[in-house]
Amino acid sequence: MKMKKFLNDPNTLTAEMLEGLALAHGNIVDVLPGNLVVSKALKDAGRVTIVTLGGTGHEPALSGFVGDGMLDIAVAGDVFAAPNPQSCFEAIKLADKGKGVLFLVLNHAGDMLTGNMTMKMCKQAGLNVRKVVTQEDISNAPRSNADDRRGLAGAVPLYHIAAAAAKEGRSLDEVADLSQRYADSMATIAVAVRCATHPASGASFGDLGDEDMEIGMGQHGEGGGGRQPMKTARETIAIMANALVKDIPLQKGDRAFVMVNGSGATTLMEQLILYKDCVRYLESLGIEVVANMVGEILTVQEQAGFQLNIAKWNDEFLRFWNTPARTIAFNK
Amino acid sequence: MTVTLRQMKQMLLGGADCVISARDELTDIDSRFGDADHGITMEKIMTALKNAVRSFGEDGTIKDLMSGISMAVMTINGGSAVPLWTTLFDGLAEGAPDRIEMSEEEFRSMFRSGYETLFEISRAKKGDKTMMDALEPAVDALCAAAEGLADMIKASAGAAEAGARETANFAARFGRAKNYGERSIGTPDAGAMSMRYFFQGLLEGLKKDQ
Repeated sequence: MKMKKFLNDPNTLTAEMLEGLALAHGNIVDVLPGNLVVSKALKDAGRVTIVTLGGTGHEPALSGFVGDGMLDIAVAGDVFAAPNPQSCFEAIKLADKGKGVLFLVLNHAGDMLTGNMTMKMCKQAGLNVRKVVTQEDISNAPRSNADDRRGLAGAVPLYHIAAAAAKEGRSLDEVADLSQRYADSMATIAVAVRCATHPASGASFGDLGDEDMEIGMGQHGEGGGGRQPMKTARETIAIMANALVKDIPLQKGDRAFVMVNGSGATTLMEQLILYKDCVRYLESLGIEVVANMVGEILTVQEQAGFQLNIAKWNDEFLRFWNTPARTIAFNK
Repeated sequence: MTVTLRQMKQMLLGGADCVISARDELTDIDSRFGDADHGITMEKIMTALKNAVRSFGEDGTIKDLMSGISMAVMTINGGSAVPLWTTLFDGLAEGAPDRIEMSEEEFRSMFRSGYETLFEISRAKKGDKTMMDALEPAVDALCAAAEGLADMIKASAGAAEAGARETANFAARFGRAKNYGERSIGTPDAGAMSMRYFFQGLLEGLKKDQ
């Protein structure tokens, strides 16, 4: 089937998207050469700053979370492709306000290669940078083998928590250690019911047919092995939440954060039904949901499905979470 | 016998053209177990390589040429292929002499250095279903081949092709495809295929030069 998307030129998708982003949100961000989406709040930041990198095509992530109380700079690559190390190095140099830079990387092959090369360049230049990797997808590896776990949407609440700690004047080591604790406290699993097409090539990521869903689907449509017949919202949540609760692990009396992240073609109605089912499921286990995100946070073009992220929260995370944020896609 | 800067440039342009002409095939392979963009990414990388070769100054050395390509590739946004190919050319630059011609022995150690430098960051070995499955046998064949540039390149192109084809028998252990594991058996690795076309193109470029 021919791709039906409102595009102009497959070669300029990212450039055109970033031009639109700058026009629509010029009060919050500047878009600089090298695909640097820079928060207006960076200018006066006498604190630890936060930089991330990632491919495009996942909007609002990652650029949508640039702004006061979240990311200082997001370096955009191209569609589903990491940016180059040079741009990331420039971003970190620009972000460094003398207190050091937290460099957040999602665990994907390209992002990691770029992240590692960037760190090498930063080290040579004597920059004060700490890299923290989020790798919370439980579908493709056990917790003991975290290096094989993909980084999914669970990084997004961390942007706010780390930024709140930085704003409070915490040192780079404190912010980085907090971020690592957060990364270790959470888990995500994804499900897809219909695959997306790559907006540049028009090629489909896969075919789940009319009857099936796939639990464990990554955020580029790469499989996870849990292909099975379509189920109801409640049944699907029971499978996914159960796996997350065991992985984290959560037990009776614990407090949790829950994110339902629509992948692009799953309606808000479905997302809210799923969220309700997750809250009820956790309640039945004696786990209290104390904070949430429901909506399209990190999408995969028009993929239908969602990511379910659960994190074990404590007073510290909750306190940082309940601080103001003003970004393109997240306000508090 | 020596390998000249001019021959090196012709070979690289041939390599780039061959990868670019396989663009749709590479994207199609990537759509099965990746994210359907490998051909697009490789076209960007190879176009940057061609621009770097074409705009290369008169007074540069083979080492400068390889460094220039590495720098040009590094500024592209193209996921994992970009740091990998940047590093490969970094390694080639490290191993290349600072002159406009080199002996066959130096030509061999330049490729050996490219492979070793890339291995340091990729850590992928033969059988892991990556670009290394084509690169490693290609460099081995190049080093083992008899005298004569054409024979060396021919042997490496043949070995790269065999290595890339063989990846169809392996389960992916690196990159996005690893999430498919055993299911990836039957499809060759897109990165190995682009590496194979690159070596095939080196041969075509060399022929054009003669």
